[in-house]
Amino acid sequence: MEMIRVNNLKKSFAGLNVLNDVSFSVNKGETVAVIGHSGSGKSTMLRCLINLERADGGDIIIEGEYLARGGEYPPAKESRRICAKMGMVFQNFNLFPHISVLNNLIYAPVYVMNEKPVSAKERAAQVLKTVGLSDKISAMPRELSGGQKQRVAIARQLMTNPDVLLFDEPTSSLDPQLTGEVLAVMKDLSKKRMTMVVVTHEMGFARSAADRVIFMGDGRIVEEGKPEDIFTNPKDERVKQFIGSIII
Amino acid sequence: MSYIIQLTMSMLDGIKYTVGLFGITLLLSMPIGLILCFVRSGKNKVLSSVVGAYVWLMRGTPLLLQLYFFCYGLTFLPFVGQYLVMGRFQSACVAFVLNYAAYFCEIFRGGMLSVDTGQFEAAKVLGFSKWQANIRIIIPQMLKVSLPPISNESITLVKDTALVTAIGITEILYFAKSAVNRDVNVSAYIVAAAFFLALTYALTALFKYLENKFSF
Ligand SMILES: Nc1ncnc2c1ncn2[C@@H]1O[C@H](COP(=O)(O)OP(=O)(O)O)[C@@H](O)[C@H]1O
Ligand SMILES: [Mg+2]
Repeated sequence: MEMIRVNNLKKSFAGLNVLNDVSFSVNKGETVAVIGHSGSGKSTMLRCLINLERADGGDIIIEGEYLARGGEYPPAKESRRICAKMGMVFQNFNLFPHISVLNNLIYAPVYVMNEKPVSAKERAAQVLKTVGLSDKISAMPRELSGGQKQRVAIARQLMTNPDVLLFDEPTSSLDPQLTGEVLAVMKDLSKKRMTMVVVTHEMGFARSAADRVIFMGDGRIVEEGKPEDIFTNPKDERVKQFIGSIII
Repeated sequence: MSYIIQLTMSMLDGIKYTVGLFGITLLLSMPIGLILCFVRSGKNKVLSSVVGAYVWLMRGTPLLLQLYFFCYGLTFLPFVGQYLVMGRFQSACVAFVLNYAAYFCEIFRGGMLSVDTGQFEAAKVLGFSKWQANIRIIIPQMLKVSLPPISNESITLVKDTALVTAIGITEILYFAKSAVNRDVNVSAYIVAAAFFLALTYALTALFKYLENKFSF
């Protein structure tokens, strides 16, 4: 089943074409890694999927429903409903600094999805366990390390039971020794067949955990395929160079 | 000594105007300022410029002028003037609330600009509507940044209440001034100063407490 379908996505910022006719799809249970040089439009593409950026043209179809159709969007309430099936994890975590870890986890379920606080708290304890942070339930965000913050951010988004999780360079602002704990959580989700789109510079992750790799360059999909093919036998010259320049 | 006590007692009568004006102004101008801040930062360009012009007007002219305007000037407005007759204390409240709302608008706007855009985005991807996000996520973080300038502004407000003596409201300074003239003795000014110091001291303590509470 197609969870995400993108046709001829176009986006420009003040005359600069950032996305030129990007088309791809993501199937249920798939982990797709998006790689490429910085500035190639990876973040913009991901942000368009969840309506943090508005596409100028093209279709974005989420689980069969049009978020954008020929660059036209439904009313805010409708687009919010469609995007509620997805979640996103940011490079800078974006935890809510004024509330505890527990509240970071239960705010959306309680205030947006009208879940009973008691049941949300129970689930929060379980979800925190799966990311290995049971002991941090009453901590404040500032008391956490970067890796712990990112694991809480993942847990927070898991609390909304998304069908699709988008990651924008989730380990890029972490010290190298902290990336492992976050990647482990992501690999675990991937194994459980969570549908994931992961923009990353972690080639090890893309190679071992992704079902498919998309290489972006200059706002286009340059090459796309199975990790083995992309990493060992890339066809496009730019991909060859990129892979060659990275030590895995 | 009994003279000082007698002065204090007579001034206590004026304190209701000082504290009343202070309380009413703070209670009303802060929420109005917050609303103005959201309009000012909102998508509607016209409304945003209207608020911008309003803030410019209120901050760019003396509060005393605004006080005179609302107390003595309003009734002379063509057509509507006759419907705008207010008591002196009422008109003082209106002038103060409108003036301070402009300052609070700018303070809150500073607070809002300090909140990282990532906070809006995180709230959005978690499904929050704009208003839910503002109320649960953005405003608490704005308040933290806004508290020190709000504290400053409130202390200024305590002292600004003395201005209404100019329109004949019998607040602390009004009593002090008449006592000094009547008794040919400066003590009344010192007693009045003590009143203001006590009020600003209490405020400082309150805001210190609040700032601690918001030190997440
Ligand atoms: N909000 C924005 N305003 C203007 N230009 C932007 C904005 N966001 C991204 N860009 C530009 O779009 C291009 C692609 O950016 P981005 O999608 O962040 O690339 P990547 O994530 O692959 O590094 C860059 O040239 C960047 O400067
Ligand atoms: Mg990026």
